Amino acid sequence: MSEPQSALLLRKQLAELNKNPVEGFSAGLIDDNDIYRWEVLIIGPPDTLYEGGFFKCHLYFPKEYPLRPPKMKFVTEIWHPNIDKNGDVCISILHEPGDDKFGYEKASERWLPVHTVETILISVISMLADPNDESPANVDAAKEWRESYTEFKKKVARCVRKSQEEC
Amino acid sequence: MADEDPVKPSSSEEKKEDEVPQEEAKKISVTVKTPKEKEVVEVAENASVKEFKEIVAPKFSSEPDQLCLIFAGKIMKDGDTLTQHNIKDGLTIHLVIRAKPKTSDSGPSRPPADVNATPFGLGALGGLIGLESMGVNSNNFMELQNRMQTELLSNPDMLRQVLDNPLVQTLMNDPENMRSLITSNPQMQELMERNPEISHMMNNPELLRQTMELARNPSMLQELMRSHDRAISNLESIPGGYSALQRMYRDIQEPMLNATAEQFSRNPFSGLVDGNATGANPQQGSENREPLPNPWGGRSPGTPSPTTPRPGVLNTPQMSSLLQQMSENPQLVQGMLNAPYTRSIIEAMSADPNMANSFLAENPLISRNPALQEQMRQFMPQFLQQLQNPEIQNMMTNPQALNAIMQIQQGMETLRQTAPSLINTFGIPQATNTTASTTNSTGTTTTAATSPTTNTTTAPSAQPNDTFSEFMARMMAGMTAGHDTNLPPEQRYQQQLEQLTAMGFLNREANLQALIATFGDINAAVERLLALGQLSMS
Repeated sequence: MSEPQSALLLRKQLAELNKNPVEGFSAGLIDDNDIYRWEVLIIGPPDTLYEGGFFKCHLYFPKEYPLRPPKMKFVTEIWHPNIDKNGDVCISILHEPGDDKFGYEKASERWLPVHTVETILISVISMLADPNDESPANVDAAKEWRESYTEFKKKVARCVRKSQEEC
Repeated sequence: MADEDPVKPSSSEEKKEDEVPQEEAKKISVTVKTPKEKEVVEVAENASVKEFKEIVAPKFSSEPDQLCLIFAGKIMKDGDTLTQHNIKDGLTIHLVIRAKPKTSDSGPSRPPADVNATPFGLGALGGLIGLESMGVNSNNFMELQNRMQTELLSNPDMLRQVLDNPLVQTLMNDPENMRSLITSNPQMQELMERNPEISHMMNNPELLRQTMELARNPSMLQELMRSHDRAISNLESIPGGYSALQRMYRDIQEPMLNATAEQFSRNPFSGLVDGNATGANPQQGSENREPLPNPWGGRSPGTPSPTTPRPGVLNTPQMSSLLQQMSENPQLVQGMLNAPYTRSIIEAMSADPNMANSFLAENPLISRNPALQEQMRQFMPQFLQQLQNPEIQNMMTNPQALNAIMQIQQGMETLRQTAPSLINTFGIPQATNTTASTTNSTGTTTTAATSPTTNTTTAPSAQPNDTFSEFMARMMAGMTAGHDTNLPPEQRYQQQLEQLTAMGFLNREANLQALIATFGDINAAVERLLALGQLSMS
C-alpha cells in the first residue's frame, strides 16, 4: 500500500530537517508512527523578547497537505499578540487558501502549497520578533504590546523563564 | 604476479570488516550546531546524553551544564540515551548554550573597561586599586580587582566588619546624614526629581536602615547576589526601570560604598572615582536603548581616553581616563575634596587616632601581616596630616600637578614593560595589596606635589628625607619578604586544589578560579563552587 502524497512529502521534509536542521527550530514527530503530527521546538530568537526560551509547538497536517495548511499550536505557554490563549497560532500563511472573506488578507498572503515546515516556522519565528497587531489572536496581549509594552515584556519574560524550567 | 593484485585489496577489506565487530560500541559522528558554530562530534552510538554533553562541551568551550541539546523537536535530557532519541550517524543536533552561571570563568575574562565600574570595585576597591596603578602599575590589575570584589562578596565578614564599624554605623544610622549624603549627588537629585518614588524612598529612614541591614547580613547579601540576574531582568521590564536601575547603582550604591570605602581605606581618591562617574556618565539624560548591562558586573566604558593610544599596552585605561578627567576638570577634584562627607570622615579619622588603629587591627587583610600593620600605623598620622594639608588639596586641584601624576603613571607603564621583573616584585595580586595600594596612591600624590619628576618606585631612596619614600621602601621589602606571591596560583593553591578534587569538585579550572577568588580559603571556595552549581541547575 503506497503512502499518500502528503505523507511522502512530510517524510521527505522530516528527513531533510533532521539531516540539515534549520536555524532556530528543531522538528520531529510527536509519535513516530504518525507523520501528520509534528512536534517542533522553537528556540527563542536572539535579540527578541523571547530569547533564551524553548517553545514547544505542535503542527497538525491534514491529509490534503500540501493543498491545505496545517494547524499550529504552541504547547508551551506563550504571550504574543498573534498566538491565542490556547496556543493556536494566527498567521496569514496558515489560513485556508483563497481570498479572505473579510478582505484583510490577499490570497498571496495565505496558504500556498509551496509552504513547507521550514517556511512555516521561519514565518512564525519572524512573527515572534515582530508581531502583527492588525489581526491579533490574543487581544489582551496586543493591547498590552501597544499600550503598556513593559507589562507585555514582563509577561513574555515570565513565559521564557517557564519554558526554560521545562527543559 | 597478476593474481596477487586482486588478493591484496580483498584481504585489507576483510581486515576492515573484522575491526567493526570488535568495537562493541559503534562510533557515530553527529553534527552539533549553534547559531554561530558547527562541530562534528564522534560519540558512541549508545552513549547517554550526559556523556555526549561532556564530549560536546569542550568543543564549544563551555560546561556540560550549560548545554541544551535539541533534536527532532525534543530537548535531550541528561538521563536519556542517544538511541532513545534515534540519533544516527550524520544527523545534526541543535545546541543552545545557556548563559554561564556567573563568576568563575566570566569574572576574570570580563573586558577591562568593565571592571572600574562595579559598585564594589569602584566604591570599595576600584578607587584604591586604580590609584595603586598610579604608583605601581600592577600588570594584574584587572585580575586583582576582580579578586578583591569576589573577596568582598565571598567574605561577607569583611563587608560586615566595615559596616559594623562604629563610625560607619553612626553614619548609616543617622537617616539625616544618609539622606544628605545621597542627595548631595547632583545626579541623584535629578533622578529624584524625575522619579518621586525614589525621593520618597530616600525620605523613608526605615527603608534606608533596612538596606544597610541587608548589606550587613551576609546570607541575605549572598542570596541577593545569587538572584541578581533574575531580579535585574525583572526590573528591566518596569518603565524606565533599566535606566533607573543603572542610576540607582551609580548614584546610591556607589556613594554609599564610597562612604564606607573611605572609612575602610581612608583613601581620599575613592571619592574621585565617584566624581569621575558623575562627570563621565554617558547615559545621563538619555533613554538607554542598549542591552541591559549587568550593573553588578560593571559600568559601560566611560569616556574614551585620549591618553590611551596603545590599548593593551597601558594596562589601565580607566586610570588614565580618570587622570585625564582630573586634569581637565579641577573642580571635580575640588568638589570631591570639599564634599561634606569626605571632610567629615577625614576629620573624624584624624580626630580619633584610635579609630585608625582599631581599624588596622580589625582589618583582616592587614592583620595578616603584622609588619605591614606596624608600618601602616606609623604612617597613619602623617597620612592624615597630609590629607588635611591645604597644599595637598591645592595640588589636587592643580592641573599641572595632575599632569605630572599622569606622566608618572605613563612612566610606570614604560617601566613595567622594560623592566617587568622589577615591577613584579611588588605588583602582586595579594591581599596585602589593599593596604599597599592605599599608601602607594597617597604617596604618589605626595611625591608628585613635592617633586613631580621623582619616580616613586624606581628611586624610593632618592629622597631619604621623604617619609613616604622611606615607608614605601620598607613596605615593599616587607611584602617581598613575607609573601611568595610570584608563584602561579596552581602551585600556590596546590594543596587546596587537591582537597577540592577529593571533595568531588572535578572541574579543576573552576576550582582554581574559586580559590583565586577566595585567596585560597577552601571553605569559601567550596561555598562559591556550590553556589555556581546551584545556579546552573535552574
